[in-house]
Amino acid sequence: MGLFDILSALGGGFASAITPAHLAWALAGVTLGTAVGVLPGIGPALTIAVLLPVTFSLDPLSAFIAFGGIYYGAMYGGSTTSILLNTPGETGSIATAIDGYMMARQGRGAAALTTAAVGSFVAGTLATTALAFFAPMLASVALRFGSAEYFALTIVAFTTVSALLGDSLARGLFSLFLGLALGLIGIDPLTGVARFSFGIPQLLDGIDVVILVIGLFAVGETIYQAWRYGREPLEAIMLHDFTGMSREEWRRSWKPWLRGTAIGFPLGVLPCGGTVIPTFLSYLTEKRLSDTPERFGRGAIEGVAGPEAANNAAAAGVLVPLLTLGLPSSATAAIMLAAFQQYGLQPGPLLFTSQPDLVWTLIASLFIGNVMLLVLNLPLAGVWARVMLVPRPLLFGGVLVLASLGAYTLNRSLLDLGLLYGVGAIGCLMRVHDFPLVPAVLGLILGPLSEQHFRRAMAISEGDVSIFVTRPLTASLLLAAAAVLVLPSLWKRKG
Amino acid sequence: MGIRLRSCGLAATLAVLTAASPAAAQNPPEHLRLVAPAAPGGGWDQTARVMQHALQQAGIARTVSVENIPGAAGLIGLARFVGSEQGSGDTLMVSGLIMLGAIVTQRSPITLREVTSIARLTGEYEVLAVPAASPIRSLDDLIRAFTQRPEAISWGGGSAGGSDQILAGLIADAVGVAPRRVNYIAFSGGGESLSAILGGQVSVGINGLAEFAPQIDAGTIRPLAISSAERLPGLDVPTLREQGIDLEFENWRSVVAPPGIDAAERRYLEGVVEAMVRSEAWRDALTRYRWLDRYLAGAEFERFADTEHARVQRILQQLGTTAKESSAAPGLYPLFVLGGLVLLGLAAVVPAIRRRPVIPSQTAVRGWRSVGLIAAGGFLDVLFAERLGFIIASAVLFWLVARAFDERRPVRDALFAVAVSVAAYLLFGRVLDLPLPAGVLAF
Repeated sequence: MGLFDILSALGGGFASAITPAHLAWALAGVTLGTAVGVLPGIGPALTIAVLLPVTFSLDPLSAFIAFGGIYYGAMYGGSTTSILLNTPGETGSIATAIDGYMMARQGRGAAALTTAAVGSFVAGTLATTALAFFAPMLASVALRFGSAEYFALTIVAFTTVSALLGDSLARGLFSLFLGLALGLIGIDPLTGVARFSFGIPQLLDGIDVVILVIGLFAVGETIYQAWRYGREPLEAIMLHDFTGMSREEWRRSWKPWLRGTAIGFPLGVLPCGGTVIPTFLSYLTEKRLSDTPERFGRGAIEGVAGPEAANNAAAAGVLVPLLTLGLPSSATAAIMLAAFQQYGLQPGPLLFTSQPDLVWTLIASLFIGNVMLLVLNLPLAGVWARVMLVPRPLLFGGVLVLASLGAYTLNRSLLDLGLLYGVGAIGCLMRVHDFPLVPAVLGLILGPLSEQHFRRAMAISEGDVSIFVTRPLTASLLLAAAAVLVLPSLWKRKG
Repeated sequence: MGIRLRSCGLAATLAVLTAASPAAAQNPPEHLRLVAPAAPGGGWDQTARVMQHALQQAGIARTVSVENIPGAAGLIGLARFVGSEQGSGDTLMVSGLIMLGAIVTQRSPITLREVTSIARLTGEYEVLAVPAASPIRSLDDLIRAFTQRPEAISWGGGSAGGSDQILAGLIADAVGVAPRRVNYIAFSGGGESLSAILGGQVSVGINGLAEFAPQIDAGTIRPLAISSAERLPGLDVPTLREQGIDLEFENWRSVVAPPGIDAAERRYLEGVVEAMVRSEAWRDALTRYRWLDRYLAGAEFERFADTEHARVQRILQQLGTTAKESSAAPGLYPLFVLGGLVLLGLAAVVPAIRRRPVIPSQTAVRGWRSVGLIAAGGFLDVLFAERLGFIIASAVLFWLVARAFDERRPVRDALFAVAVSVAAYLLFGRVLDLPLPAGVLAF
């Protein structure tokens, strides 16, 4: 397809998307998506699944416009609770919580929410443009990623721990290994054999990342604050302003938005990419490039702007393999695929040619949904930021109710609820003794991925380790990981 | 037990808004619950949601809810179903061949013999395929290479012990190779295995026909064989049997009811399922999803399930799902992690605890009191959540946490506790239709 063909197809898409009915469905979708993105444990996948039987009577176009809105909306909503309550709504916004919550504590919640919203808009728009123009080409490159490459990618991701260690190497690594050890629990997907599940059926699937994240962050923070309350007078939170970002903060934000997009989109296109790795890589990049890396972890706006942009760009990237190859690479994409089938549409490599109207209207409505989300979220940033003014007893009471709701609905399991409070106690202890929390979360997410891809690559190569150096992509990724670890210290020695 | 009558919240509201009122029916029975023991998006979830649609459309039941209980290829759902739905005469769960595989691999103490069989519903054929650019042109090519050096052929498919691996084992057995030597690469989820096949990361892929069909149509993969008895109309793929491998295979799905229901309840549920498979909405769905109609009820289905159990058990034992160990033994990595944890623990935790921050004794007591209150809140939440319901458990939790911070305003805190809990329940339990336990406050 030439450039002109794409532009005219996209124009047709816009013409069909800007009808009152379709605009209304887009608005309904983004609003609902924002609402469910806020709550931990409930994401766009479950929401679309619940709505599927209802939308059966709609025409497919309206349904997919609403689904697209829910998907993009959830990405925006996830950052709100991350920043204000230290409770990431989904795994893609864990990195946002690190500096976002510190900003909120300092009364700069509105600025954090604004940079998240504008960054999401910039990333969403750029990534959707890339989706419209380069989707088929990108998809074929993504297929060259095999298990060896994915293993190398997880190693690159592990280097981000170096930016999150805190003051002590030993304490940071202990936190990482705690996460890795928790990741051992459950069925080994390669052999189907259960490990460390102690005969408890609920542990067969391992410990859910959501439980660990909201346990360590939200519950741990609540216990810690309550414990400290008796010792020190509360520092009153003064809100800086309700207008959003200062000129200085705009200047600090725009480059991280663009870099976050550049990191997020290609990694989102990879069939096993996900949103966690790009957000943390963006965080690492911003910290490494910063002149004042010591501000990171203490409320640096770049640490919010970059990961949020990366998160949204990756979410748009997921649509590339879905629309061009019929490959679902996330839970939400799998539901969308099922929805295509429900309408008797053939999801797969021929979708672009067999259903051009549908695909181009969907893409056009993603652009429109992005604008709607920006318009919805910018004025809300000031309103949401006032959450920090709620009296602490009520604020933290509400946080724990939301955390328990999210943990329980995940698998409808009381064991998860118990685990949540257990993890919360550990999180509080770690905070008291100055252990960083994020490496544990990264360990739980990356450990199992890394192990699986390593063993899969070894099985495919019949146990030949040279597979990790003979494949050019793998070798260059591993070199990049080594460079990230070694170069900064060489740099310092020189300077 | 909790209430049975759950509105479909948003679903129902939207249905009215979009004028999707189901075909009017005379006095349909009240409410039916379907359990999908998998996450949204997979085959079992699709089956449950198609059933939901068909049952409501045909007016067989007035409202039908679907609950997802994902995990361990359905074992978590099965354990929960047997444990907490004992005697529920209005509940069905989707199950099938893959659950049998998981029961055998995990040596699950709970099997499909513990539940009440209702009927087999659908079957799906499996297809063997290679990427379009593969040097393997036909099933003969594949089998020749496989019998010469079995380990050199990597078979990509779904989860370990699932239908794809079972078929790989059956094929190996049929061509005289020990199933143990199949180099099976398990991927989690259809998308992951499909991308490995499309990208040529594995020699050959096994997958359900529905997932492969779009790729076959587009010519991105080359199908080598299908596991049906005869060629399918409109699909130019030879069967295993006509190419000399005497094998027929289907990934079947079924529905079961909880244990301990009486004969009348069983007859009622069987009637519901029978009426559903006759409905037009169900027949439409069969063509749309390329499912085969494999309706089989009563004693015949029970006999079929027993035979399948024995077949799956035999082949999985021959496969030795634990046997495939390349040079990176699965035991090495856990050893590294646990060893590292202990060493770092000694290096980090001991000094951290030694230099305990000094706290004036009076304030320390107050701090620990707060922690105690939150601990009590968490404990009571776990205790009450299912017994007394979400609202009560959350209100108690909220109140105790609020008092951990400030104990001067118990009444205000109590009012907020009740308001927040009720609002959260209404918003998430009713409007978004999430499965929150209503408990004793059934309304």
